[in-house]
Amino acid sequence: MEQIQHEIEKTCLTLALETSCDETSASVVADGRIILSNVISSQVPVHQKYGGVVPEIASRKHIENVLPVVDQALREAGVTLADISAIGVTYGPGLVGALLVGVSVAKALSFATDIPLVGVNHLEGHIFANFLAHRDLEPPFMALVVSGGHTSLVHVKGYNEFELLGQTRDDAAGEAFDKVARVMKLPYPGGPYIDSLAAKGNPEAIAFPRALPGKNSFEFSFSGLKSAVLNYLNSAAQKQEEINTADVAASFQAAVVDVLVSKSLQAAATCGVKQIVVAGGVAANSGLKAKMAYECKKAGFSLHYPDPILCTDNAAMIACRAYYQHLIGDYADLHLNAKPSLKLGHG
Amino acid sequence: MPILAIDTATLVSSVALATADTLLAEITLQTKKTHSELLMPHIAKLLDMAEVTKSDIKAVAVSIGPGSFTGLRIGLSTAKTLAYALNIPLVGVPTLAAMAYGCPVPGVILAPMLDAQKGNVYQALFEWQEGELKEIQPAVVTEVTASLEKLSQYDRPVVLMGEAAVMYRDKIEQIGKNLILAAPHVIIQRASSVGGLGHRLVKQGIKHDVMSLEPVYIRRSEAEVLWECRHGVSK
Ligand SMILES: [Zn+2]
Repeated sequence: MEQIQHEIEKTCLTLALETSCDETSASVVADGRIILSNVISSQVPVHQKYGGVVPEIASRKHIENVLPVVDQALREAGVTLADISAIGVTYGPGLVGALLVGVSVAKALSFATDIPLVGVNHLEGHIFANFLAHRDLEPPFMALVVSGGHTSLVHVKGYNEFELLGQTRDDAAGEAFDKVARVMKLPYPGGPYIDSLAAKGNPEAIAFPRALPGKNSFEFSFSGLKSAVLNYLNSAAQKQEEINTADVAASFQAAVVDVLVSKSLQAAATCGVKQIVVAGGVAANSGLKAKMAYECKKAGFSLHYPDPILCTDNAAMIACRAYYQHLIGDYADLHLNAKPSLKLGHG
Repeated sequence: MPILAIDTATLVSSVALATADTLLAEITLQTKKTHSELLMPHIAKLLDMAEVTKSDIKAVAVSIGPGSFTGLRIGLSTAKTLAYALNIPLVGVPTLAAMAYGCPVPGVILAPMLDAQKGNVYQALFEWQEGELKEIQPAVVTEVTASLEKLSQYDRPVVLMGEAAVMYRDKIEQIGKNLILAAPHVIIQRASSVGGLGHRLVKQGIKHDVMSLEPVYIRRSEAEVLWECRHGVSK
């Protein structure tokens, strides 16, 4: 016991909260790299019947779950609030009502305990999940953030220096997955179902369009691809033609993955970095992993992505990001507000 | 030992420190600024001005609803967390009852009403009987015109309070008769009333679970209602 107590005193513990969408999560991380606890209360089953996240229901679930989750995170880590050096919280981007629960709790915790408060950008958190998964990883690297809400290429120059190279002009990659899955009558969230269906199909069966292949543009667009898939399915249905759903899934997934991979490699080459990291919910997609691994190897880039649990929304990644902000004294005060459309690298 | 009281159920942002018989301090603002920005800084300022330290707070009382869903959650998230971190009791105070508590006038009906959108209001009715506040109609969602017509049938004065009383002032004045608008300082939510009623509730042994206390929304989310309509689930 004394041994453990001694260890805790030596380390810097960050406690963080994440409530930006449909997961209520709290985590304690040591020295920015070691996860002591990462409690995630998922609302996925609650939103399933609506075919997507309902903001008001998400907010109601957050206020129900948030303190039990924080309490469990502290208990699982074997620490108390008194052991914590900084409290991190996601303040954007995300659903405003959902963010406000986490932000209110974090501010009150900080005030009650006099522990400094750190406002964390959710997207930066996703990128930092890689520091938890790979303890030796250090910047600089190129980060591809792909999730239901985001598709961005970020040049991570240092722990606190980011450059957003490009993002999606319309749908996020994960959003395109979910929409296509819905039309194919797959359960919500559809991404993983498309992924497993795609594994059984021919990715070259249908030539779906690859958007914005321009050499030096790092912007994405997935709405054209989504429409092409929907048109294909609708016209087959009208003509009462049998379709091979595995081929549709495989061809759609290949179109998304091709664009994500080629732009990531171009971006890394342009910025002269040797490492690529993938982050966000879509980082768990097996088609993306395989293609990215193959192309990175061919081009001589090292590749990192987090474990599936760290790809989803979780507070450990926020605690990791908060640690590096804490090191440079980047604190928020009690006026901290939720910023639903917070951009990367901006306060 | 004072109670810290919070009311963010509507646009009004109000925090107070009150002992059982004294209001020490109150900050009440009716501006367009968000509760998220104001609430914690106000609590810090309030304690500072009243020279009360965090460890002096005996309990946290929070206006629990009905009201704006987001406003209620900001207030309750803050209140729960303070109670949790400072290890003190938490008491959820019904929003409409706290408003009536702020108007201790016997012989009249107190009718606080808050906006429930699309011409509806959250409303409850109270009256003072021998120094005790009695609820004569629990909080419901009701259509405002029908409700005002009904209130105008009482043979006693009815004092209307709350943001909806301000919103529907013209309608109230038009109906006239026994309907009276409360004065501006009584018509809005005041954390001092939440604290006062909170003290009474604590004295009665009422305290709520920090972990599980939820706002009193009265209404389900629109998505739930629509889903049930579409799927023919009867309530
Ligand atoms: Zn996310």
